[in-house]
Amino acid sequence: MNRMLALCRKELQLYFLSPTAYVAFAFYFLVTGLFFSLDFLSSQVVDVRPMFSNLMLIYLFTVPLLTMRLISDELRQGTDELLLTSPATLWEIVFGKYLAAMTLQFLLVAGALLYPLIMSKYGTLDQPVLWLSYLALFLLGSAMMAVGLFASSLSAHQMVAGIIGFALLLALWLIDWLGQSVFLSGKDWFSKFSITARTINFQKGVLNLSDVVFYLTLIVVFLVLSVQSLERKRWK
Amino acid sequence: MGSEGIANVLEVNQVSKLYENARGVRQIDFSMERGEIVGFLGPNGAGKTTTMRMITGYLNPTSGQILVDGLSMADHPQKARRKIGYLPETPPLYPEMTIVSYLKFVADLRDIPHREQKQRIGEAVEKLGLQGREKQIIRSLSKGYKQRVGLAQAILHKPDLLVLDEPTSGLDPKQIIEIRQLIRELGENHTVLLSTHILPEVNAICNRVLIINQGQVVLDAKPDAIAHSLEQSFEVSLEVRGPSGVVAAELEKLPGVESVRELARAGTEATDGLPVPGDEPSVSEAGAGSADAGEAHAEAAGAAAMPGGETVRLLVSAKDKTDIRDALFYRLAELRYPILEMRKEVLSLEDVFLKLTTDEPAAGPGAEGVSADSGAEAGDETEVKTGE
Repeated sequence: MNRMLALCRKELQLYFLSPTAYVAFAFYFLVTGLFFSLDFLSSQVVDVRPMFSNLMLIYLFTVPLLTMRLISDELRQGTDELLLTSPATLWEIVFGKYLAAMTLQFLLVAGALLYPLIMSKYGTLDQPVLWLSYLALFLLGSAMMAVGLFASSLSAHQMVAGIIGFALLLALWLIDWLGQSVFLSGKDWFSKFSITARTINFQKGVLNLSDVVFYLTLIVVFLVLSVQSLERKRWK
Repeated sequence: MGSEGIANVLEVNQVSKLYENARGVRQIDFSMERGEIVGFLGPNGAGKTTTMRMITGYLNPTSGQILVDGLSMADHPQKARRKIGYLPETPPLYPEMTIVSYLKFVADLRDIPHREQKQRIGEAVEKLGLQGREKQIIRSLSKGYKQRVGLAQAILHKPDLLVLDEPTSGLDPKQIIEIRQLIRELGENHTVLLSTHILPEVNAICNRVLIINQGQVVLDAKPDAIAHSLEQSFEVSLEVRGPSGVVAAELEKLPGVESVRELARAGTEATDGLPVPGDEPSVSEAGAGSADAGEAHAEAAGAAAMPGGETVRLLVSAKDKTDIRDALFYRLAELRYPILEMRKEVLSLEDVFLKLTTDEPAAGPGAEGVSADSGAEAGDETEVKTGE
């Protein structure tokens, strides 16, 4: 536990000692701010949903930026030799890093609450829709972070890890659309696996347990894959 | 040695790591007692790093068993890893962090209790001469200081076994001497396994040498015992003032003498042009040896050209490894040919290393200082393991 928190602390330190986090944050808030202003000024409707799809789209670019260095940098610098020969288990290493990524993600989600706050000055927001949408965003982001973390364990080059992460996320993003165009009948089946389609219930203000379980499963699967990917290196 | 410990600090039993390209290590087998400083020696690609990575638990062996202080690395990886301090070839540092925040992180990772951390970090910083730089960013440190931070990281949790992979590679001569001094000091309280391809380093630091070649241990001995064990004959290098042909002929008549070879005479080199053997380079690496030998030779030639008659340089081999120096002295004194210099030839670690790690007899290019006739077979007085 201590070792895991030490890793999490170290990752957060490194995030803010290197330009990565600042660039990702700047990009995220700049683009979401722009979209929000344009949308809100043109439509003048007090509703978080139109803004929400934009937020999700920006995540597709921000998350790989934030996760790509998590493990690949250790491999590049040779610091994985320090971690893997320490008493820390692979689970502690992977989870510690994931925790750090989640902390950043939490800041992103919390920061995006600024937009509904501005909207609420001009009308009443639907509270369940607002909070469930943000929960959906947090769950979506968490799952995406796990995917990005796994991608980061695949290469010692940050950029390669980032691109792999982006490709994996894009595939999960578009899976229902891909399924629809390839297999005409399989649309429903494929949309069950789409990370975006799963947010629809939340945005309607409906909390569906199976949606939450879906995201949690995705997180667990990709964390297990990350651990396995590191374990494999011991046998190389 | 090591009588206070019940179990060996490290036992490596028949450990192999197989790769598809057939490199890797095969059936490595050795153990280390408490307090030893063992030099792990071998050419690049011999499997030093792979072996060290298996010992530290970074890699799992394909087969075989590693016991650290009696604990199996396979069955109790966490407990076993806790007993090891490891400095990989490139020190595992985070360039963005300061020395203190880095060491704090390592202390947490290594389960050092919070209340002891400050003291331990202070001790390590002091021991490695990092005082005053605690708040410095690691990126801004010189290579020598980075290496020190790497060492500080390795000793922070007071490990039973310290594993150092080429601790002096890439450092300048001054830094090399400093790091060696540090390792010697650390060796007073730790058991150390260090790898290197710099031979004088082993003489300077270690009290035992393991030579590894093509994934196998080919020799296990004390550094000073190695040379003696591999000598096939007793050889004496002589510089005598006297007529060349006569001196050699007279000496060959002595009962204990097997052969006499003329190396140089009166400032001119003999036709075979063999350089003068010996003159172990002190700090320079293996490759610099030829330059040193060349200089020594030039000096010798200069000395020989001094006035006062013809001088000759000879290499005298004795029969059955007997000491013939007394006989040589009395015989030459009798003949009134003064001995200007007499030296018993000792194989340097370089020679031994080349003998063990190259297949051809050691007189090939780069094997300066080894006479062709002594390189044919390897002695087997100590544990010299034959290849395959």
